[in-house]
Amino acid sequence: MPPAPDLVTQSAPLMNILLFLPLAVALVILIGRKLLGVNVCVFLAVASSAICLLCAIMNLGVVGSETIRLMPFLILDGGKLLNIGIDVLHDGQSAGMMFIVTLIGFLVQVFSVKYMEEDDAKPRYFGALSLFLFSMTGIVLADNLVMMFVFWELVGLSSFLLIGHWFQKPSAAEASKKAFLTNRIGDFGFMIGILLLFGVNHGDVTFAGLKESLLMGPLKATSEGQGWLMTAAVLCLFMGAVGKSAQMPLHVWLPDAMEGPTPVSALIHAATMVAAGVYMLVRISFLVAASEMGATWIAGIGGITALMAALMATQQGDIKRILAYSTLSQLGYMVMAVGLVGMGGEAMGGNAGHPAMFHLYTHAFFKAMLFLGAGAVIYSCHHEQDIWKMGGLAKHMPVTTFTFAVGTAALIGVPGLSGFVSKEAILGVAWEECKWLFAAGAFTAMLTAFYMTRLFIVAFLGKARSDSSSHAMEVRLPMLVPLLVLAFLSVFSAYHFMEAPLKAMAVHGHGEGHYTVMGISIAALLIGVIAAFVIYRGREKDPLNIKLFANKFYFDEVYAVLIKVFQDGLAWLVTGVEHAVVDGLVARLPAAMVAKVGQKARLLQAGQLQGYTFLLGVGVLLAIYVIVFVLPGVGH
Amino acid sequence: MSVFNLEALLALLGLFVLLLEAFVPSVSSKALAGICMAGVAGVLVLLVTVAGGQDALPAFIGAYHQLDTLAIFYKAFALVITFLVLWLTLEAAPYLSKFTLDGKLGEMFSLPLFVCVGMMWMASAKDLVTVFVSLELVTVSFYVLVAYTRKSALALEAGVKYLILGALSTGVLVFGVAWVYGATGALSFEGITKAVQVGGVNKTALLFGVSFLLAGLGFKVAAVPFQMWVPDVYQGASTPTTVFLSVGSKAAGFAVLTRVIDALTVSGSMVRQEVITVLSIAGAVTVVVGSLPALFQTNVKRLLAYSSISHAGFLLLALAARDSVRVDLAPGGTVAFYLATYLPMTVLGFAALIQMRLNGRGEELDDFKGLAQKSPTLAFLITLAFASLAGLPLTAGFFGKMWVMLGLVDQQLWFALVCAIIGAAAGFYYYFRVILAMFTPEESTEPVRMGALARGVCVVLGCTIIVLGVYPKPLQMLLAKVPVAGKNATGH
Repeated sequence: MPPAPDLVTQSAPLMNILLFLPLAVALVILIGRKLLGVNVCVFLAVASSAICLLCAIMNLGVVGSETIRLMPFLILDGGKLLNIGIDVLHDGQSAGMMFIVTLIGFLVQVFSVKYMEEDDAKPRYFGALSLFLFSMTGIVLADNLVMMFVFWELVGLSSFLLIGHWFQKPSAAEASKKAFLTNRIGDFGFMIGILLLFGVNHGDVTFAGLKESLLMGPLKATSEGQGWLMTAAVLCLFMGAVGKSAQMPLHVWLPDAMEGPTPVSALIHAATMVAAGVYMLVRISFLVAASEMGATWIAGIGGITALMAALMATQQGDIKRILAYSTLSQLGYMVMAVGLVGMGGEAMGGNAGHPAMFHLYTHAFFKAMLFLGAGAVIYSCHHEQDIWKMGGLAKHMPVTTFTFAVGTAALIGVPGLSGFVSKEAILGVAWEECKWLFAAGAFTAMLTAFYMTRLFIVAFLGKARSDSSSHAMEVRLPMLVPLLVLAFLSVFSAYHFMEAPLKAMAVHGHGEGHYTVMGISIAALLIGVIAAFVIYRGREKDPLNIKLFANKFYFDEVYAVLIKVFQDGLAWLVTGVEHAVVDGLVARLPAAMVAKVGQKARLLQAGQLQGYTFLLGVGVLLAIYVIVFVLPGVGH
Repeated sequence: MSVFNLEALLALLGLFVLLLEAFVPSVSSKALAGICMAGVAGVLVLLVTVAGGQDALPAFIGAYHQLDTLAIFYKAFALVITFLVLWLTLEAAPYLSKFTLDGKLGEMFSLPLFVCVGMMWMASAKDLVTVFVSLELVTVSFYVLVAYTRKSALALEAGVKYLILGALSTGVLVFGVAWVYGATGALSFEGITKAVQVGGVNKTALLFGVSFLLAGLGFKVAAVPFQMWVPDVYQGASTPTTVFLSVGSKAAGFAVLTRVIDALTVSGSMVRQEVITVLSIAGAVTVVVGSLPALFQTNVKRLLAYSSISHAGFLLLALAARDSVRVDLAPGGTVAFYLATYLPMTVLGFAALIQMRLNGRGEELDDFKGLAQKSPTLAFLITLAFASLAGLPLTAGFFGKMWVMLGLVDQQLWFALVCAIIGAAAGFYYYFRVILAMFTPEESTEPVRMGALARGVCVVLGCTIIVLGVYPKPLQMLLAKVPVAGKNATGH
C-alpha cells in the first residue's frame, strides 16, 4: 500500500471529469438529441460513463482525506457569512462509492443499448441516465450537507424522469409522481436537519467542520447540554435517508418505481441511488454516534423495514417486485447497521470501514446483477414479469440462469460469497448491541433465503407455464457481458484482491460472538432454502396465500385513507382560509375600499384638464406647506 | 474626439434627418430609421470607447459640463433607450402611420434624437441653468412626439394635456430655481452644496425654493401629487413615445434629481432632514397611489402607466435612503441601477403591446388570453418582463427593490418601508394577472407571429433581465464608483 499524498492533490482534474462530464453529456444529449441522432447520443453516454469509470479506478487507493474546491457556489460576504462550494471530499469512502456507481453505471448503460433497442426515446433515456450519474456523483463527492442536498434533489429529479420514461403508461406516470412526492416528504426532514445543524454550528455544514465542532465546538456543547436538539437534528437528517433509501414508513414508492425500465431499476433502485441514504448516514455516523436515542431509532426503523419487506417479498408474483422488496429489506439491514454502530458510540466511515458501507458495496453488485438478470428474462419472455407464467427458463437461457443463481446465492448469504461476509459483519454488530435486532436480522436472513429460492425455483426450474417462457431464448452478448462481470463481482467482491484497493468499504476483525452468529445465519439459510424447496418444487401456482403479505400490510390503502382525511381536509381548510382571509380580507375588502376611493378619485382623474391643473396647483401648495411649515418644526 | 462633442454630433444628425425627410420625400421610413439607429449606435460605440480615456475637459466647457461615472452612465442610458425607441417606432410603423396626417413617420425618427441630446446634456449638467435648458429640449420634443399620431383623438388629447401641464410645471421649476438662487446665491450644484453647509442662508426662503424645485421635477418623474397626467398621456401617446416617456424622461428626471438631492442633503446641510423626510413621504405615497388603481386596471397600457408611477415611488425612496450601509452603492447609484433594470423590462412590456397590435389584438387584458398557446416565445418573454416588474428573484427587478428596502431599513424609515412592501405585494397581484391571462386557454386559434428582428431584440432584452437578475455584480461595481458629494462627505 504505497502512501501517495500527491495523488490527492493531483486528483482535482479527475474530480472535475467525474462530476461535470456526465452533466455535459446529459445537456448535449437532452438539447441536441434531434441534431445528433440516436446513435451518437448513445455512444456519447456510454463512452462518457466509461471515461468516468476509468477516472474512478484511478482514484482508488486514496490515503487520508482532502477537500478540493471545484467551484464556489453560495458565497456571501466574502465567505464570512456563508461559504458553500461545490467541494469534493476525497477519501476512501467517496472513492470506493464512486467506483461502485461508475462501474454499475457503465455496465447498465452497456446492457441498455441492447435492452432499449426498440425504444423510440433512446436519447432521452440515455440523457437522463447521464444526468443521474452527474447527480449521484455530486452526492458521493459532496463535502458538505448543502451540496449533498442540492444533488439529493437532482437525483430525485433524474429518478422521476427515468421511472416515468414510459410516461404513456398511466401506471408509470403515477409511479414517478409517487416516488417524487414520497421523497419530498423525507427531503423536508433532511432540509430541516441541515438547517438545525446550520444554526447550531454557525453556518458550517461541512462534514469535517461538523466533526471538529463535535470534538471541541458548538456541537459538543449542544450534544452535552441539549441532547434533544442533537437527536432532533440526527432524526431529521435520517428522514432524508428514510425517503431516499425507502425505509418504513416511506418505503411505498420503491416497489412502484419498478414501472421504469429494468436497467434503471438495477442502477438506481437497487444499487446506487437508494443506497444514497445509507451513504449519507455513514458520512454523518459521528453525529449518529453522538445521539444514543437517534441511533436507537435508526436501528429500529432499519430492522423493522428489513423484516417487513422480507415478509412482503414472500408473497409477490412479479419478478421485479420480489427483487424490489428484497432491496428494501437489504437497505433495512444497512440502515440498521448504521444505527447499531451508532448505539455502540463508534464513528466509522470515511477511511474506516463501516459494516453498512460494506454491505452496500457487496449488495450493489449482486442486486444489480439480479435486476439485470431479471431484465434479460423479461426481455426474452416478451415483457412477461409474472414468475408463475415463467418456469423452465434454465433450459432456454443457461448463462442467464447461471448468473442469476450466483446472484441469488450471494444475496441469501451462501458461505464463501460476498453477501455472506458483509451480512455476517452486520449480524455481528447486532449480536453485540441488541439481541432483539439480531433476532430480526437472522429471521430476515431466513426469509431472504426462502423467497429468493422460491423465485429461482418457480421462474427457472420445472416446466414452462406459458408460451412466452417456452419460446424464451438466451440473450445476446452485449447483455450477457454485464451479467457475467457482475456475477464475478458478486462472488469475489469481498475477497482480498478486490477489496484491497477498496479498504474503506470493508470491515475487518470479528466480534466475540462470531461463531455463534455464523452458526445461526447458516442455519437460517438452510431452513429458508429447504422450506422453499419443499413448498415450491413442481408447483403450478402459489400454495401459500397470505393476504396480509401479498397486500403489503395494506400500507398503500392506509395512506390513501390518510391522504383523504388529512390532505383533503387540509385542502378544504386552506381553501376556506384562502376564500375568507386571502380573497376576502386581503384582496376583496381592500379592493372594495379602493374601488370606493377609486370612484371618488376617478372624478379627479376624469380627464378634465382644468381639474388636473387645479390639482397640480394644490400639489405645489401642499409641497410648500409640508416643506416650509411642517417639517422644520418637526426636527426641533 | 472628446466626449462632449458627441451631443453635437447627434444634434447634427437629427437636423440632417429632419431636412432629409422634408426635402427628399422618396426616402422611406425604414431608411430614416436605419440612419437614426445607426447614428445612435455609432455614438454609443464612441461613448464607450472614448469615455475610458477621458481626463480633463477644456476650460470653456468645464464650467457647465462634467463627466463623472454617473454622467457617462446616463449618457449611455439615453442612447440605449433612444435606440430601442427608434426600433419600436419602426416596428409599430405599419399601424402608427395610419394615424399621422401625411401617412409618414418622418419626425418620429428625428425628434427622439433631440430628446437624446437633451438627456445627454442633462446627465452632465453642473448647474441649474444647464439643467433647465436641456430639460426643456427634452420636454418640447416630447410635446410634439406625444401628439404626433394626430388622427387619434386620444393622442391629440394627450398632447394638449401634456403641453399645458408640462408648461405649467416648467414654470414652477423655473420659479424654484430662481428662489434657490436667491437664497443661496448659487446656481451650480457645487455652490449650492457649499451654501447649505456654511450657513448664513435664509432657511425659509431656501425651503420655499426647494419646494418649487421638487414640485417641478416631481412632475417630470411622475411623483404624487404630480402624477395625474400619466395614465391619460401614456395611454394616448403612441406606444414608442410612451416607452420613451416612461423610461427616458423618467431617467432624465432622476439624473437631475440625484444631483439636486445630493447637493441639498450633503452632510451638515441645513435642509437635509427636511428633504429626506419629504422624499420619503412622497416616495411612499407614490408607491401606494401608483399601485392601488393598477389592481383593477384592465387596460395593460394603462396598467403599465400606473406601474411606472409606482416605480417612480421606489426610485424616490432610493434617494431618500441616504445612509444605506448594506449596499455598496450611493443613493444615486441605487437609482441608476434601478433604472438600468427598469429599462429592459419596461421596453419588453411595451414591445409586447406593439406585437399584440401588429397581430390585430388590442391592449386589454382579455386580448392576452391564450397567448401562451399561440406564441409561447412572446408569452414567455412577457412573463419574464412582468415577473421582473413585480420584482421576482432571479429577474432584474428583484435587486433594485431589495436594495431600496434595505436602505429604508438602515435609514429607519418604517412608514416608507411599509408602503414599499404594500406596493411590491400589490405589484405581484396586478402584474401576475396579465401572466395569468396569457396562460388561460382560449378557443380561437389565430396564430400570433413575431418578426425576426422583433424576436431578436426581445430575446436580447429577456436575456438582459435574467443576467441582471442572476449576476448583477458587474453593473453594481460599475456604479459603485459613482462619486457622490453627499456620500463622500457623510463618511463620518
